Amino acid sequence: MRSLLAIEWLKIKRYRTFWILIGFFIVLLPLWNYEISSGMISMGNSSINLLSQAYAFPEVWGNLGFWASIFVVFLSILVIILTTNEYNFRTNRQNVIDGWSRMQFYHAKVGMVIALSLAATLFLFLVGLIFGLANGGSITDVVDKFEQVGYFFLLSVDYLGFALFLSLWIKRSGLAIGLFFLYSIIIESILKGLINWKMDMKLGNYLPLQSSDELLPFPLVSLMKHIAKQPDASMGPYVIVTIAWILIYYFAGRMMLQRSDW
Amino acid sequence: MQTILSINNLTKSYGPVQALKNVSFEVPEGCVFGILGPNGSGKTTLLGTILNVLNADAGSFQWFGGMQQDAARRQIGSLLETPNFYHYLSAMGNLEVNAAIKQRGKDDKLRVLEKMGLLQRKDSKFQTYSLGMKQRLAIAAALLGNPKVLVFDEPTNGLDPAGIAEVREMIRMLNKEGITIIMASHLLDEVEKVCTHVAILKKGDLLLSGPVDEVLRSEDQVEVKAADMQLLEGVLATMPGITKVQVANDLIQVTCSENVTTQGINEYCVSKGIILSHLLLKKKSLETKFMELTNN
Repeated sequence: MRSLLAIEWLKIKRYRTFWILIGFFIVLLPLWNYEISSGMISMGNSSINLLSQAYAFPEVWGNLGFWASIFVVFLSILVIILTTNEYNFRTNRQNVIDGWSRMQFYHAKVGMVIALSLAATLFLFLVGLIFGLANGGSITDVVDKFEQVGYFFLLSVDYLGFALFLSLWIKRSGLAIGLFFLYSIIIESILKGLINWKMDMKLGNYLPLQSSDELLPFPLVSLMKHIAKQPDASMGPYVIVTIAWILIYYFAGRMMLQRSDW
Repeated sequence: MQTILSINNLTKSYGPVQALKNVSFEVPEGCVFGILGPNGSGKTTLLGTILNVLNADAGSFQWFGGMQQDAARRQIGSLLETPNFYHYLSAMGNLEVNAAIKQRGKDDKLRVLEKMGLLQRKDSKFQTYSLGMKQRLAIAAALLGNPKVLVFDEPTNGLDPAGIAEVREMIRMLNKEGITIIMASHLLDEVEKVCTHVAILKKGDLLLSGPVDEVLRSEDQVEVKAADMQLLEGVLATMPGITKVQVANDLIQVTCSENVTTQGINEYCVSKGIILSHLLLKKKSLETKFMELTNN
């Protein structure tokens, strides 16, 4: 795996689009949150800014995680571009001709999804640490609700894995990016609404991307529950279903690649 | 001599189109093996299959007597169809990826770029290259790390006449150094000039394969005519050295081996009591031979 990732790195380290999209994530996530925490972006009466309440430990993790779950689309687009590039340049063929097996080609991309998610999670952790400490927390408070950092990792693998599967299937960048947005913003919301409409089970929450969105809900929701002294909902089912979806993308992609011509 | 590649009954179709039908042949070590055929005859499909980018429907192939296929491909330098490179990387950056996957040739980049005349443009992005330069880079990538076997699909595509001559000369030189070369071409001239062995494909069928001087040997044809054509046909069929007797219009066309002369045919017929009224030697070019093979 190390050597596969090293080769993947050779492919992208001088690719401007890669750095631009990574840059968006790295710059916009802290900037956006800084503006919220300092009241530049606000909700509610200016004397009681609801949005800016959650930047101290332990709320900062879930709060940052929620916003990061939106900015993770930059990384999803990156995965789509890097994967469809291979088809566009026909370098998927060249990689195999040069001696990779199809599975090595695939696992290099899967490895990239995991590495990007790890890096994004680490970044989230650093940003959260700075916000938390700046808002009067001490280093010993870090561990409280720390599992939400792990939720973000799962969410990222879910989104990027979905993007990878879509790219291997569609093979064309414009179409794949279009479908990604269409599904994640519109189709899934419609499906979720339809399924949850008359169901107590709320099965619509378990759709591919929604299942991981549920892990990091809009911060005000959890704040309100907290105030109303409602117990936090158990995240166990969503964790399991998210992992299941990730495995489904992995095995479906694997089957697709092994069968088809390149 | 060792067999580099053996192909057994490869079959492949795209929907209703049969691209390869039970193709079998062997490539001996040290040869320049040409795969010859008109456009759409299955050459690229064949090369794509033996390089594992296409899946065969049936049949099998073995590199180096059965080496694991991913490992075998790392020992082979290949150029399939079009040059495939990352557009945003330089020649050096691209070769670095090639060498990393091949696990060899890391320190060989400058040598192959120089060999293909690209040294001055080594740091330019691939997308700024002209068609001919892209083709040269593809050949350079194939040469990385001095592979023992080269697979070239139409290696002279997109090159100017000087470039074509250069690449052919290079193929001959590489072959002299003991490198086995498998190349597909639709140019008979190219195969005739550089290949030692040839396989001829037509619509997925393997028509012939073997050493070039056997397969593409130019045979002479002789036209004859006499009063009693039926008798003449019977007599000619019995003459030693004659491989084919064909009645065409009011003439008989005779295909014969090299040691048969028109004089010999005349003498033979006279000795059988036939007087020829027409006797004409027609030299057949390789071109005609090829057209005959590939057109019905």
